[in-house]
Amino acid sequence: MTLEQPTKSCSELRRAQPVFRGLEAGHRACQGCGQALAARLVTEAIGPDVLIANATGCLEVFTTAWPQSAWRVPWLHSVFANTAAVASGMEAALKAQKRNTKVVAFGGDGGTFDIGLQALSGMLERNHNVLYVCFDNEAYMNTGVQRSSSTPHAAETTTSPPGRERAGKRHLKKDLVTIIAAHRIPYAATATVAYPSDLRKKVRRGLQVEGAAFIVVHSPCPLGWGHENALGIEVARLAVQTGLYPMIELERGELVGAMPIREVHPVTDYLRLQDRFKHLFADDPRAREELEHLQELANHNIEVYGLRAQKPDRFDSEGADTVRRGGMRTA
Amino acid sequence: MAQQPLEGSQAIAQAVALCRPQVVAAYPITPQTHIVENLAKLIADGKLACELVSVESEFSAASVVLGAAAAGSRAYTATSSQGLLLMTEVLFNIAGLRVPLVLTCANRTVGAPVSLGNDHQDSMAVRDAGWVQLYCADNQEAIDTTIHAFRIAERCELPVMVCVDGFTLTHTLEPLEVPAQQQVDNFVGPYAFARTLKPTDPITLGTVLSHEFYPEVRHAHHRALLDAQEEIVAADREWHALTGRSTGGLLSIEGPPDAQTAILTIGSILGTLADAQAEYRDQAPAKLIKLRAFRPFPVDALKQACEGLRELVVVERAVSLGSGGIIAAEVRAALSEMSSPPRVHSYAIGLGGRDVPMNAYPKLVAAAQSESPPRFAIFDLQPAKLPAEDR
Amino acid sequence: MATLTRGAFAKPGTSLQFKTGDWRLQRPVYLHRNAPCHVACPAGEDPQAYLARLAEGNSQAAWETLVAANPLPAITGRVCHHPCESSCNRGDYDEPLAIHGIERTLGDEAILHGWNYPVRPLSSDALRVAVVGAGPAGLSAAYHLTRLGYRVSLFEAESEAGGLLASAIPAYRLPRSVLGDEIARLLSVGMTFMPRTRLGRDFTLDDLRADHRAIFIGVGNQRGRQWSVDGVVPRDSRPGLDILKEWLSIGSLPAYKSVAIVGGGNTAVDLARVLKFSGIPEVHIISYRAVPGPGVAAEDVMRATAREVRQAIEEGVIIHEHRGVRRLIIRGERVAGVEMVHTKKLTRSAGRRETVEFEGTETILHVEQVIPAVGQEVDPAGLEMLLAGHPFLHPDSWGRLEGFEGIFAGGDVREGAATVSDAIGDGRRAALAIDSYLRNSALPASQRPVVRLNDLNVNYFEPQPRTKIELLPVGERNAEREIEQALPLSHAGIESHRCFSCGECMSCDNCWTLCPDNAVLKTLEETAAGDHYVFDYDYCKGCALCAHECPSGYILMEPEP
Repeated sequence: MTLEQPTKSCSELRRAQPVFRGLEAGHRACQGCGQALAARLVTEAIGPDVLIANATGCLEVFTTAWPQSAWRVPWLHSVFANTAAVASGMEAALKAQKRNTKVVAFGGDGGTFDIGLQALSGMLERNHNVLYVCFDNEAYMNTGVQRSSSTPHAAETTTSPPGRERAGKRHLKKDLVTIIAAHRIPYAATATVAYPSDLRKKVRRGLQVEGAAFIVVHSPCPLGWGHENALGIEVARLAVQTGLYPMIELERGELVGAMPIREVHPVTDYLRLQDRFKHLFADDPRAREELEHLQELANHNIEVYGLRAQKPDRFDSEGADTVRRGGMRTA
Repeated sequence: MAQQPLEGSQAIAQAVALCRPQVVAAYPITPQTHIVENLAKLIADGKLACELVSVESEFSAASVVLGAAAAGSRAYTATSSQGLLLMTEVLFNIAGLRVPLVLTCANRTVGAPVSLGNDHQDSMAVRDAGWVQLYCADNQEAIDTTIHAFRIAERCELPVMVCVDGFTLTHTLEPLEVPAQQQVDNFVGPYAFARTLKPTDPITLGTVLSHEFYPEVRHAHHRALLDAQEEIVAADREWHALTGRSTGGLLSIEGPPDAQTAILTIGSILGTLADAQAEYRDQAPAKLIKLRAFRPFPVDALKQACEGLRELVVVERAVSLGSGGIIAAEVRAALSEMSSPPRVHSYAIGLGGRDVPMNAYPKLVAAAQSESPPRFAIFDLQPAKLPAEDR
Repeated sequence: MATLTRGAFAKPGTSLQFKTGDWRLQRPVYLHRNAPCHVACPAGEDPQAYLARLAEGNSQAAWETLVAANPLPAITGRVCHHPCESSCNRGDYDEPLAIHGIERTLGDEAILHGWNYPVRPLSSDALRVAVVGAGPAGLSAAYHLTRLGYRVSLFEAESEAGGLLASAIPAYRLPRSVLGDEIARLLSVGMTFMPRTRLGRDFTLDDLRADHRAIFIGVGNQRGRQWSVDGVVPRDSRPGLDILKEWLSIGSLPAYKSVAIVGGGNTAVDLARVLKFSGIPEVHIISYRAVPGPGVAAEDVMRATAREVRQAIEEGVIIHEHRGVRRLIIRGERVAGVEMVHTKKLTRSAGRRETVEFEGTETILHVEQVIPAVGQEVDPAGLEMLLAGHPFLHPDSWGRLEGFEGIFAGGDVREGAATVSDAIGDGRRAALAIDSYLRNSALPASQRPVVRLNDLNVNYFEPQPRTKIELLPVGERNAEREIEQALPLSHAGIESHRCFSCGECMSCDNCWTLCPDNAVLKTLEETAAGDHYVFDYDYCKGCALCAHECPSGYILMEPEP
């Protein structure tokens, strides 16, 4: 059944939305793209008064097929590795011009954990007043799903294929947040598309602090992770609820907040939805060991960050996504 | 205007400061360091209002100034050698985005083996990045060219690389004229970049372009560089009117007008060769063609300069390994359009900072008369130093 | 063709030229589906809809939504067995919503504030329709017919309207004042009420046909069914309903030391409790069905409302479940007890379910009297032609009687109707059928699909305990004081926020928030579907994320046409 549209046309409605949307429709992200969603949510939380520096990657490619652009904010892509430095330059320029416009850098995990890490470290060390947002989809998706240092242990990618000698990626996911924290910047946090209110709150906090801020946003990739298009949020939520992707906030390198997990799910709830972990469900002792390994990694996170909820609250893994009649979720 | 004794780097720093950059980003590398040190001191002393971003690599230095220029500030960086090559990816990117920037390359060879010595291997390696490249023969030219560079960059929407020989110029103290601030303000004007990123006009820079438009974007860029010749000449002309000094525009010619032999070179060895030209005026009469603009490559000016020549010795300070002279190859190609072009002799000299003595001049003139000149040779090569199999 | 820009810069938002809607293989649609509470409600209420209004803070709008189906919420909010709550999806998550309590609160609020039923004045040429019987079915039919613009004559044999609400439901369940207020307000919406006018005595169906365009029969089943054990009837034995009615009208009750009531319906339980309150030490109920409880099959449960059974047990009524009466033990002319036997309903040959008595399980219960409460039947006076010898009428689901054009029936006069809410629903549907008959228009279309728990995304809800409804302590109970206490309006409001909004948009913004493609737009105007969101199919890629993440099952994916 197709519903009647209201009297205003979609293009009229689009112009009259109650919040500014920095990322417009018509971009060429895959169906169900978590990064497109994450970028949309982040730019919404930022508002229009910003300059954005964007690293090479899916987000860059799917938003800027000349002569079209999906951006409604001033935006610059330079190269893969230099995003934090470009943002540093923008910030220096605005400071010199005494303008208060915010500067935000966007990068994927490849551009952040790997090739852009040095420039990022420099930006953080110099404490530029820049919010760096990393959209973490845990592999080089733009080039066809190659492993990055952010790819989880044991995950399949085209360069970490499982086979007779290997069970997916041999190495661990890089603990980037700890590296970031070691710069003792004013604010660093992990976030996810599964908890949009929490994400927006963190973005606002990151913009509010004077100095460098960093947020890594877990952004599901249906294509690279091998889950159904519709399940991105489900998968991302389970990443948090299993303890595999802890939601934490750090100020000056110290842990100041963590989203408690009210009901801790076994990691298999998360892994089972994704083809990149399919080989771990084979009837094979090594697969079983790797499953146990991933469970222990989650347990370790839960222990280290104290993630197990003591009692239910509205900011824990069950409460943080609660919706209200009438919308406009808190934060 | 009174001259004052200044080290080349100090002079360049003062020239940069006169252009009022709002953002300077750099990473230390010999022999560029003194330029940035001097700028840092000017900023520290409150003589220059500027954000100095001391980055963690040249790659970031280029990126910072790109970001700054796109965000609406005049920006500047300087580097050398390996540092320039580390910037390479960003250099192409800056030029492709048509962002105006000025970079001083304190020329130094590129390892391995490691050497601090001066030659042009670094800037020649990035000749196809889409930048304007201007080479300075002396420190007065370095001052003037730096000032020209900002104006050319911003009028042409092209980045400009000012190439200054490391040590030979950067570390040499000599009496120099530093123009007055007002003079420079009038000459350069305030920074204005048409595609400045701003929330009131939120454009997208750095898009993905398909093959449907790629040849066209390359054409436009190439065309812009060729057209920059006019701006380079105009800047020089106007500067001459203001200060009485000329830097030679695209190229300049010295020596007896009727000489049928000429030596074409680039950078600071021009000083040595000019002195030698005077010294050996009768013994080895020849013209000196001083090439200032290597990008854009001034084909028409060159053809005109070579009119009536029979022998042209191209002496350069870099090698395209496996091919030979870089400038010479381009000169040969350019002059092939002439009805009776001179013979072109291609030599590299002074690689890795080897001194170019005065007596190189008569030897070069003499070599021009040889029956069968080599297609390319390293002029000051001492084969005895090589193992037999490498000679 | 585009002209190259310097450095290939692009203008903001120009991607709108690229219609990614072409990629779509399936499309999301906003689709109001039915909440299970709505489907379960015999009266046709849509609790989800009025809970939404209440959650928005508008209790009057909530009541108006409620009375669009059921004009007697203050009554059903007390006496209904609330299948809405048994079917509530929240029941499989934590606890069902206290819909029944909220219904009562809204009904009471309406009485307190004198809210008017949403009924328009009749036009002068309104068609006349007769309603016979002012019990729940008749009242409902009369109300809905008036709402639909008909001039209704409502005939009632007794001096008061209410039917068994007035004659058979004790005050501890339904205070007289509530009953009186609710019915008085209902009668004043514009119908003509004619009490003490009995069909078959004061008028006939033919009399009605003369000046009414249609007739609704809602006379109920007023006569206690004949009961005996192998032909033996105890001396002084009277049907339970008659005893209850007598007590309700004149306050007298028989006095025994012990009594057994046979039957498992509300009459049996009400009578048992009334007798217990009156001081009879030993009150038994003998039922061949089971006491309601977890795991008991619905078809095997006593007909009485579960909470009434629970309360009766609290109060000391002894229930013998799965028992039949095999023999009356008579000493002289008096009852001395009954012989009970274990029974079970079993599926016998040809799929028939029959009550089977198990030999060897007989026990004796010593009681002074046995009271049958085994159901009632229709008083045939005036209905002989329609009954044609059957004990009940058999209308279709719209109240239509085959072979009798213009005559409709519902409520307890129909075989199978069991509750007040059934009767109210019958009245409403018959009113719609009468309207359709008189206008020669189609009946309302078939039902929307029902939303079940797995159609929802409960991640977006929080567990929250059901609001408690207070009961009078057992020691303070009597036959007059209302046992169940009211849910204060503020508590009702809090409780309403627990609603999952099954199948209906709750404007939570989730689809608008979570669309990666910016293809969900918000609109201040209400859309045709009654929500505030629009899919922009020019850009929607059909990923179905919105449908998966819709908390209330309001988004459906359909193949792309």
